[in-house]
Amino acid sequence: MESIISTFHIDWKIIVAQAVNFGIVFVVLYLFALKPLTKLMAERAEKIGKGVDDAKKNEAMLKATKAEYDEMLAKARVEANKIFQEGKKEGEIKKSEMIEKGKVELASMIENGKKAMQADKVKAVEDARKEIASLAILAAEKIMTDKNKQNK
Amino acid sequence: MAIEQTHTTGEVVEEVSHEITLFAESIFHFGNFNITNALLSSWFAVLVIIMLVIILRKKLKEVPGVLQNIFEIILEGALDLCDQVTNSRKLSMKVFPIAISVFFFVLINNWLGLLPIGGLGIIEKGEHGLAFIPFLRGGTADVNTTIALAVMAVIGANLFGIFSIGIWKIFNKYVNVKALGQIFTKIKKDKTVIIVAPITFFVGLLELVGEFAKIASLSFRLFGNVFAGEVLLASMAALFAYILPVPFLFLEILVGVIQALIFSMLLIVYFTISATDHEEHGEHEEEHGHHKENIAVS
Repeated sequence: MESIISTFHIDWKIIVAQAVNFGIVFVVLYLFALKPLTKLMAERAEKIGKGVDDAKKNEAMLKATKAEYDEMLAKARVEANKIFQEGKKEGEIKKSEMIEKGKVELASMIENGKKAMQADKVKAVEDARKEIASLAILAAEKIMTDKNKQNK
Repeated sequence: MAIEQTHTTGEVVEEVSHEITLFAESIFHFGNFNITNALLSSWFAVLVIIMLVIILRKKLKEVPGVLQNIFEIILEGALDLCDQVTNSRKLSMKVFPIAISVFFFVLINNWLGLLPIGGLGIIEKGEHGLAFIPFLRGGTADVNTTIALAVMAVIGANLFGIFSIGIWKIFNKYVNVKALGQIFTKIKKDKTVIIVAPITFFVGLLELVGEFAKIASLSFRLFGNVFAGEVLLASMAALFAYILPVPFLFLEILVGVIQALIFSMLLIVYFTISATDHEEHGEHEEEHGHHKENIAVS
């Protein structure tokens, strides 16, 4: 043992000094490099994990939204078609109703026109008759007057 | 081995020898405390690590820069490697800070020994005339450094074991009183315990010796490899100073990494073994074995 110590100059003071050196390295590395770096790496890993999760969630949400959108679009198409058909049907009904109404109105207008014409005709005949009678009376009066004058 | 240089001072010509010694040479004294060139290198290594940490700390961002990226890659790779030994991320997170600190400390010390500034130094009068003493010598090329690290690793592993599985179990690992007690408690059930228990107790004592063997193996492996590298480089430089040492320099850079890795991996292994409750593990395996047998029988 003595020979080993003297051959290699083993000195407990230097051993302690080297142990202190290592201690300093350990403390500095642990406190100022390993600890903050490990923390940073863990935080980054967490963020990346969260990002991947969020991306997956967003993808799923996008798929669900697209499916919902497609479904709504299909529904809207069906409904629009239905509304269009109903509107068309209603329009046709209204059109035929209006035509019918127009026909009735036209018929009543024609009837009314006929009636007015008839009344006008009767009135004109009556007026003519009255006129002719008064004219005949006037003519008779004149003839009578002329005859009287000749007789005198 | 000695590399001899000619030092001319006026008319007197003296030979200055540069011997590669097994021990770190003393550069100056601070009271009765010898400051060796290896200790100086270690201080320099500590300074380098502190500077790197300060730069890293200042440039720490959520979106990493080059230095942070390199450090993160090393950190993640090392943590995965640590997981392979411990088989548990929880245990890895406890052992890892010590292991990575050892890795960087050993690595920087190994590499500092390769720097050409080792050529700067002082000339002192020794036993065999003037001797050149370089200012820097790889910190791990001094056995005092490697012993300090090895002692800390072994003591640290045992302390870690005490905190993980309890002082009684760690004590029984070395002085297996429990095994001796089983002679009285299990003798009626199993007669072989009278032979097995003393053997188990003796194995415990061997474990205690093994702890010292761990210190020796850890420290001398690292010291031997790094010192051999320095000798190899010096030999090549003595043969032909230009170009010839370059491939060996690259080899030593690699050896520096490998040795740092081996030291820190062994440290993780010791910590893991120390934190594992072997009795519980054995009982579990026994139970598992019985369960398997029962299934096979049924």
